[in-house]
Amino acid sequence: MTIADGVKAAALLFVATIAQVSIFSQVHVFGGVPQLVLVTLVSVALLRGAVVGALAGFFAGLVVDTATLGQLGLTSLVLTVSGYWIGRYGETTGRERGHAPFLSVAVVTFLYAFGILLVTFMLGERAPAGPEMRSLLPTIAMNLILTAPTYALVRVLLRPRERADYATEVQLLG
Amino acid sequence: MVRRVVLAVLVIVALALLTISFRSPTSGVLHDAQSYGSDVLRPFQVAAVRVARPFRDGYDYLDSLATAKSRNAKLEKMVRDYRSQALLNASAVQQNNDLKRLLRFESGPSYPQDFRAVNTSVLSFPSGTFTEQIVIDAGTSSGIHVNTPIVSADGLVGKVTNAGHSTSVVMLLTDPDSAVPARDLKTHVSGLIRHGQGGTLILDRVSKDQVVNKGDWIITRGTVDRRFPDEYPYGIPIGRVVAVGTSDIASFLTVQVQPLANIDSLDAVAALVPKHPRAKP
Repeated sequence: MTIADGVKAAALLFVATIAQVSIFSQVHVFGGVPQLVLVTLVSVALLRGAVVGALAGFFAGLVVDTATLGQLGLTSLVLTVSGYWIGRYGETTGRERGHAPFLSVAVVTFLYAFGILLVTFMLGERAPAGPEMRSLLPTIAMNLILTAPTYALVRVLLRPRERADYATEVQLLG
Repeated sequence: MVRRVVLAVLVIVALALLTISFRSPTSGVLHDAQSYGSDVLRPFQVAAVRVARPFRDGYDYLDSLATAKSRNAKLEKMVRDYRSQALLNASAVQQNNDLKRLLRFESGPSYPQDFRAVNTSVLSFPSGTFTEQIVIDAGTSSGIHVNTPIVSADGLVGKVTNAGHSTSVVMLLTDPDSAVPARDLKTHVSGLIRHGQGGTLILDRVSKDQVVNKGDWIITRGTVDRRFPDEYPYGIPIGRVVAVGTSDIASFLTVQVQPLANIDSLDAVAALVPKHPRAKP
């Protein structure tokens, strides 16, 4: 990960975050809302690994919470874990697989919703699971629609790493 | 190893931020820092909203074309009804003012003449399913504070729950935590406006022996007892009753209210700041 890559990733996530809170959050389709930040984070984490994924998640969460004057740290916490987990998947079994971004986005959308629900519940605030679960399928569908163009754009800006850069503990053959 | 250390550090920092933020959500050093951070992000959000506006307007235009004809007929009928009603109202207002003068009637600040409207745009729409909130482009520097009522051109929108230096968070009427004391303009029945199903509102706590009719206007109730001033001044329009129901097991009427403000599509709103700072609603 070079400094230029870091700047590009930060700029991408910043733009995605501003677009999310100002534009995408108004788009409601069957109760679901497209999550450009999550899709961009997944793309960055898949291409750059767990450490960058965690840092990117933390940064994106901080910007979201600051822009919306929300509870600082809430989104950062969930996005940090999401970015780390997707980064690990990208470093190991997910690399060079066409379905990896789509699978990651679908799984992370579910885990992100569940994570926000869990942390909100643990803070003692109202966290009804029903509406969240009802809006989950439309949200996953919209995130999957966003995945292909977003991943392609991120891939252009952050070129995939060389084989030698990947983790070597786990290697899937065949 | 490095990965796990980085993850652990970030999680600990996030938890620390969360703890501090949770303990003092509307004041303190972290809130001030967040408020200044929000100021820094504001130009980017304004730019994003401006870029998206033509697309939104285009969509709204196409959407409205589909229902234009039926809507026009409905509006023409409403204009006829309102015209005759306006004449009666003008006469009643004149009579009311005369009677108040005769009785030397004292009252608190009333809407809208005793309030200054701080017109501002909507910056963002947090999309969480637990809360219905928006962020507006005005804060304490414009006289806005926590509990300042927010209205649109059509009616009540909500109130400020967190005020930064130049941005504020507004809890919408459709938020599950929102409760606004309200009354039926015609029958004077009082209740609490809460969120209902599918973007509608309900007038809650209306006992079965009281009368609320379909089509009645619902407005804010305002202060009833000076010891407990209400956050909303009297008379802000909230919505219109679309259905009244009851059941044998329920203690209260089920009064469904359609909000006047188009809460799903807010571009600009106004914060109601009292003209005289010491005056309470």
